[in-house]
Amino acid sequence: MTFITVLITLLALSVVTYLVSLINNKLGAYFTIVTSLVTLLLLFLLKNSIGQLASISLFTFKLTTVGWYFSMVMVVVYFTSAFLNPFWMKKMIYPAAYNLFYLVSLIGTIGMFFARDFITLFIFWETVVWTSTFIIQMGKSRKSSYVYYVVSAIGSMVTLFAMMLVYQVSGTLEISVAFNALTGQPVLALIVFFTFLLAGLSKIGIFPFHVWLPMAHGSAPHTFSPVLSGGLVKMGAFIAYISVSAFAAYEAFSSSFTIMGIPAPIYIIMVLGAISIVVGTVMAIRQDDAKKLLAYSSVANGGYILIGILLFDQLAFAGGMLHLVSHAIASATAFITIAIVAHRTGTTKMSKLGGMIHKMPITYTVYLIAIISMAGIPPMGGFVSKWLILQGLADHGLLFIAAAAFFGSIGSFMYVFRPLSAVFLGQLAPKHENVKEASIMMQIPMYLLTIATLLIGVFPKIILKVIAGIQAEAGIQEIVMVGNTIVVANGVLDTFRVFVVFGYGFLIALVIFILRRKSRRVTLMDTYTSAEFVHTPELLHYSSNFYAPFERLTKKPYPVLNLYEKVSIKIKEIGHMAESLFSSPKPAVTIFWIIIVFAIFFLGGVL
Amino acid sequence: MNNPVLLIIIPLLLAFVSVIIKKAGKWILLLGVLINTVLAFFITTGETIIGGFLPPAGINLVVTQFTLVGVILINSLMLLTIIMSIDLVGKYSVILLTALAGINGMLLTGDLFNLFIFMEITVIAAYILSAQAKKYHHTITYLIIGSVGSTFYLLGIILLYHLTGSLNMADVAAKLPLLTTKELLVPILLIFIGIGVEVKLLPVSGWVKGVYAHANRLIAPLFASIIAGTALFVFGKLFVSVLPLSDTLTMLILVMSVMTFVFGEFAAFKQKQVKEILLFSSIGQAGLITALFISGLVYAAVILIISNVVSKLIMFTIAGAFTEKYQTDNYHSLSGVFVHNKITGIAFTIAALSMTGIPLLIGFYAKLNILIGFFHAGNYVLPVIVLLMTIVEGAYIIKLLLALWAPGKEGQVSLESFAVEKKQLLSVKNTAICLIVALVLIVGGTLIDTTSKIVTNGQPLLGDESPYFIISQSKGGE
Repeated sequence: MTFITVLITLLALSVVTYLVSLINNKLGAYFTIVTSLVTLLLLFLLKNSIGQLASISLFTFKLTTVGWYFSMVMVVVYFTSAFLNPFWMKKMIYPAAYNLFYLVSLIGTIGMFFARDFITLFIFWETVVWTSTFIIQMGKSRKSSYVYYVVSAIGSMVTLFAMMLVYQVSGTLEISVAFNALTGQPVLALIVFFTFLLAGLSKIGIFPFHVWLPMAHGSAPHTFSPVLSGGLVKMGAFIAYISVSAFAAYEAFSSSFTIMGIPAPIYIIMVLGAISIVVGTVMAIRQDDAKKLLAYSSVANGGYILIGILLFDQLAFAGGMLHLVSHAIASATAFITIAIVAHRTGTTKMSKLGGMIHKMPITYTVYLIAIISMAGIPPMGGFVSKWLILQGLADHGLLFIAAAAFFGSIGSFMYVFRPLSAVFLGQLAPKHENVKEASIMMQIPMYLLTIATLLIGVFPKIILKVIAGIQAEAGIQEIVMVGNTIVVANGVLDTFRVFVVFGYGFLIALVIFILRRKSRRVTLMDTYTSAEFVHTPELLHYSSNFYAPFERLTKKPYPVLNLYEKVSIKIKEIGHMAESLFSSPKPAVTIFWIIIVFAIFFLGGVL
Repeated sequence: MNNPVLLIIIPLLLAFVSVIIKKAGKWILLLGVLINTVLAFFITTGETIIGGFLPPAGINLVVTQFTLVGVILINSLMLLTIIMSIDLVGKYSVILLTALAGINGMLLTGDLFNLFIFMEITVIAAYILSAQAKKYHHTITYLIIGSVGSTFYLLGIILLYHLTGSLNMADVAAKLPLLTTKELLVPILLIFIGIGVEVKLLPVSGWVKGVYAHANRLIAPLFASIIAGTALFVFGKLFVSVLPLSDTLTMLILVMSVMTFVFGEFAAFKQKQVKEILLFSSIGQAGLITALFISGLVYAAVILIISNVVSKLIMFTIAGAFTEKYQTDNYHSLSGVFVHNKITGIAFTIAALSMTGIPLLIGFYAKLNILIGFFHAGNYVLPVIVLLMTIVEGAYIIKLLLALWAPGKEGQVSLESFAVEKKQLLSVKNTAICLIVALVLIVGGTLIDTTSKIVTNGQPLLGDESPYFIISQSKGGE
């Protein structure tokens, strides 16, 4: 089976989905599940044809292990989130278009990951950008869609510049060959490195391009937020991968100035990654909206992935690639659970929620496991990947970046705990007394993703084997595993043993929980008021102003969005100036300008 | 194969006929445009001598591949505009036919003085058309600036005649390199300003806002895509193949073009009315196109003209429909207008996305060629400007699209009930035409090898040898 067949099948299926959605949008939404499942199966079959070259019209593709890996992650996220689509069809203004764009953006990501030349890469990249832009507008906010598009456009236009520059120098558009022409031209290589990487940075949400994530993730349709955070953000990681593998940044800058053993340009980007970890973590802690909180956590986790991939070695690279999967799955799970809570209660504001564990125990458990993974606590997937990244950082002696990574790990306890306690634990608001547990259909993706999180945590070998293949393909040292043990220079990690230990701990806690005295349930209205009637129990809700002391510490949010707004205002000002100068309705003004032009031309012509 | 002079004669003749038979005016107009469009497809490259005198003394029409593209494009667009807005033609059929004759004359003529005459015919028709909006103040402004422009052009060619003793373009082009830069400065400058008024270059484009912003569904596309497109083709013909530019002059005109581009896009970013966004974006794009011509990237410029005028035809038609149905074209007051007019919305969106250079639309192909061309010429500054402006352009276009598609306040999920009241924007016929034209943008941007074959016919346009993108390039060493 060729890749082209797969691509055309998927396109045909998405058109069918669209047509079906026009007639019955709920049925169409079920088609998105089927189509993404078909995609998953077809991609799985494609694993045997790695190395295959394919081309159609102006597109050329090459099936690579890394492309396969990225697209599998993407399809898993799309497939599991698709289970929510049927429930949101009524809330969409354009349900049929949503279904179509959902699938087209999936195809776009796959095409992009297998792209063999720059044009294919760029076309599929842009396809994803504008389809997702049109999906995000169906959510709560148009402004966020606008910011998302503009930040993406900044990234993609700068990257297009890099691509065309490389094409001009090398005469070829093939990704794996074109960059070779840059050897021996350090200045050019520097320009290409920074400009090419920019699309990736803007997509993965690296500081200062992270402004779009909280806006877009926070206000996108609830069904699409898991895809955005779990899936599309990871496209940026792919660009980062190209910049170290095909572009061979380490070789290109081998003679350049190094900082702590890392070439300065790469180190600068890694510092940006470290800043994103810190900024993402701090901002996540401050959020009241659960989706915005998770979005900021994606910023932080994007930093980990970027640092891991950029280190491009045995450990940290494997960690970064593994973190890509574990974060994709964990964040998709978390967003799905929040989406379900929002579906049942109509809000994602944490101060309006609480006590959902009594009504949605399964959703609670799933969320708990997801955030355990996200915070990097064993025995979940996130632990293994963060451990590998930290090992790699320690190996290189990258002190400051490791400090940021540790900060992020600890800070993540604070932010993942906030929704846990504010949404699920605590008192149930009276208006949520009749909230029901997620339906079976919604539970399916939660089960699938939770099993995946656990599997990666306990048997990371399944994924690390593929990562070793990628490392072999990229020509770096492969990650070594003996049984369930990951072998690194500083020691070994037996994930199964970790799981067993934590299992015992869990059992002991369970026994204590069962044996202890039953607690009395209090509701939100059980507020103790010392003979006064409480008019606004919401303000006394313990989850409003959750981290007040911490928020006082970090009171002034940094003004990055303001920067974009300032630029936008400046452009408007210049535009206004140009309009009032040159578009005056008085002909005399035009005559005046003609005279000025004459004067300039005469001076210029005579000189 | 057939005589290109028919393209000028037939509309002119039919204009007189329609004066006599007033009642059938719009049908005669339709017939004229239809005949012209069909004939445009059958003319072949070559030179046609009129009046029996041999050039340079006599008058000739020159058809090159470049003009051929222009003639076919402009006549087809004219046909589409007339078909779409035939209900608004009314008493303007004579004017429109005359304008058509003038436009074809501008594109085809090989004589500088004839160009002046045809330009005057077109521009006078345009003054009358601009009066349709009954904003006479703006018409007067246009009249004054336009007349100044025409006079400057006339002065310029008088000086050229004085210097070379000829007005035939080919003859002048052969003789000009013998002259010094200083002798050429004044005539070239005068001609540049004269053409610049119609091309909408910045300091002399003061009339554009008043005229475009009030034009209706018929007049707006006529100005924005047909007359503007013609002016750009004429600019290309004159400044690439006829007038030699010294380095300083090239630099100055380039700076003016780039300023037009940047300021136009910035001004468009600021606007709130759909038509004002589009007209400033047209000004900006005109600046980019002239910059491309001046840099010698004729192929990229032609593709950009095609992409631009086709997009603007759709967008101005729909923007005209906004004012027609809702009495406003402020996009905040039109929020969610496409909820009720999905197909119209799709056509508008495709056109808008093509303008911003979204892949697989012809605008992207244009952008790709611009970048490749500039890089090949060793110019690394203009690609940066082009890409930065693409971001600005993308920003205002996406803002516009979001407002038109998704009604509702910030913080609310957009729902159909928030949209403006339901009205049918375009008739079924017009919607279909808009959609088909939009599909042309997709096809042209996807089958790019076919596009390049149709546009160039295998020969470089106006001697432009700079490389452009073809599919086999992406397939590298296979």
